[in-house]
Amino acid sequence: MKKNVVFIPCIDDGDGRNSPYQYSVKSWKHWCKKNDCELVVFDQLMCPTSEMKITWQRYHVLEILENSDIEYDQVLMIDADTIVHPDTPNFFKMTENKLTVVHNEGCYDWIIRSMENYHKHMFNDAPIPFKFWEYINTGFLIFNESHKQFLRDFIAFYSANKDLIINLQSTFHVGTCQPVFNYFTRRTGTDLKFLPYEYNMCDLPRKEILDEELTMTNVGYIYHYNAIPKEFKERFGNVDYWMKKTYEHLYND
Amino acid sequence: MKKNVVWWVGVNNPNHSEKFGGYEYLEYSRKSWEHWCKENNCKFVAFTEPVEKDLIKFRVNWQKAIFVFDELERRGIDYDQICLVDSSSMIKWNAPNFFEMTDRKFCGLRDTDNMKWTYQSIKGYENFFDFKLDTTKYINSGFIVFNESHKEFFKSFKDLYYDNVDTFVDLQDNIVKKGTEQTPFNYWLQKEGVDVKLDLPMGFKLTHMHRRSFFAYNWQLKDDMNPYFLKWGYIWFFNGFAKDQRSQVMKDVWESVKNNYCSNYSNIDDLLDTVEHKDTAKYTTSRKFKRDVLETFYNDEYKDATLLELGTSQGQSTRMLSHAFKHVYTVEWDDWNIDQAKLRCKGRENITFIKADLYGAEWSLPKTDVVFIDASHQYQHVLLDIENVAKHMDDPVYIFDDYGLPPGEVRKAILEKINDGTLKLSKLIGETPDQLVSAAGTKFIDQEGIICNLKE
Repeated sequence: MKKNVVFIPCIDDGDGRNSPYQYSVKSWKHWCKKNDCELVVFDQLMCPTSEMKITWQRYHVLEILENSDIEYDQVLMIDADTIVHPDTPNFFKMTENKLTVVHNEGCYDWIIRSMENYHKHMFNDAPIPFKFWEYINTGFLIFNESHKQFLRDFIAFYSANKDLIINLQSTFHVGTCQPVFNYFTRRTGTDLKFLPYEYNMCDLPRKEILDEELTMTNVGYIYHYNAIPKEFKERFGNVDYWMKKTYEHLYND
Repeated sequence: MKKNVVWWVGVNNPNHSEKFGGYEYLEYSRKSWEHWCKENNCKFVAFTEPVEKDLIKFRVNWQKAIFVFDELERRGIDYDQICLVDSSSMIKWNAPNFFEMTDRKFCGLRDTDNMKWTYQSIKGYENFFDFKLDTTKYINSGFIVFNESHKEFFKSFKDLYYDNVDTFVDLQDNIVKKGTEQTPFNYWLQKEGVDVKLDLPMGFKLTHMHRRSFFAYNWQLKDDMNPYFLKWGYIWFFNGFAKDQRSQVMKDVWESVKNNYCSNYSNIDDLLDTVEHKDTAKYTTSRKFKRDVLETFYNDEYKDATLLELGTSQGQSTRMLSHAFKHVYTVEWDDWNIDQAKLRCKGRENITFIKADLYGAEWSLPKTDVVFIDASHQYQHVLLDIENVAKHMDDPVYIFDDYGLPPGEVRKAILEKINDGTLKLSKLIGETPDQLVSAAGTKFIDQEGIICNLKE
């Protein structure tokens, strides 16, 4: 029987960056069990990251599931620097069978540079097809079988524009797949469903909720430990510290 | 005919003047909203006089909400939809018409800037309301849109406040200390089951702009150095930072964008260039004074209006005013001044010069829509000017020059007539004392000018 799947890319790149991701995987394992979903951890590279960054390789998600004989209904592709609250409502019931996303709230200097820089250098044949408040964070994306062609086309777009994409990534540092994904969804006319911020809570320090009381656990569901400034990490703790602390607070196992 | 109304909240509370670094910012907010309303055929309604005078017990933020329907009806305003907006905002000159996006529902935008603050505020009022608030529907009360169908809701909110005023003041000022009416308003919305539309574009509520880096510009491309909020936002809220910086920040923004707020603005600058101002000429007003007057009256609303000027002097203002009004009548008793003024106003066909002694003869001047009082600056004379105008005209708009002139006789007369209800302050205009450069070397004690009795 087809199940909804939570798909987490969690690859050991040898730099130790993924060590706190164990808390992410454990939290998602718990949530999946509670909501009768299957957890799939993507932990093997398909090709060297010099060819294609992990953030791009993960868009093979539906192929990977099919090649592994995993039957799926809907698939959440979630970043491994997240922790889910055990009481998070089942968002698969909110998708209306559309590609489901969350707007990237946070630093709009970064977001608007991402929009404008990729527009100038890659998508300049038409006006920017979305507003800054519609800019998607690709750390939380829900697909279903109807998006197979979209994902194939997205990967093909990467292959066709690989040199330019790599160049823009390393020149501007405003995301890897994310700016391209934002343009590509609109150019292909893909129907999108937006969930509220609580389902992908980026940039927690900016909202003053990443604190010793773990205030974010009182005001939302999925905590995304990104965009944490260096000064904040040095003063209050790094991603490892916060993910461990959050996990232990919520799960206590 | 019913119109959409912008209920603009701009109360100058002297007790908070220091906290806010003065209230100069009201001017910039107001100008932006007045322009937008004109462009979008909406009615601008200013809430500048609190209904309840006790501003500790009845904070302005409470009053803006609980009295909105009472005030609109008291003023005889036939409203369709109503937008309540704080004066810490400016609206972009060409912002889309949000009234067309409401589906005729109550509209509000989520407040997710400082979520710790909102969480603490929500928790603080939880026991009072005995209700579990859905935090994902918590809205900012500085920009909301509603209509007549919500009148009962607002009335019940008013009743709630009056029934619990002391408790609310205690929670607000001593216990919770997180905001004024916003969180109670959210509780009441949800408890009363109001259907709130939350998906107006975020561009209509750019709050905490520094927190979200909206003051930055694209420093990588450098193609366009305009800050993001100007390029991408519609309504800019200057909040979330030290309040005493608000006026300066809003002033800087206004100075950089004001040309977009008046289709004839380039003409205004041209007009201002044709006359002298207070920094170089003794007997006239500052450039800012004249600009403020033109920005108020140089528009369709007054294009058919007439003006009476008491005190032509050498005609600097007269010439300028003749561009804004259909006809200008100007009164002067000194022959030499009249000759100078006629020379200065050469080519202007819509000016009538009247030689008269305002204080020694029976009043026999034409009735006009607007009066500019700038004759004698003695207390008794100013008082007489006001009384004559009030007696012989049909509730005109008053413009006064030299409000802040020492030793304060003009101001004394004006304040006396404000206190007895003859005049109602609309706005202060011209330079502040510290900005005013006077060719005569005079140091003013208050703002240069004042407009009273503008029609709402």
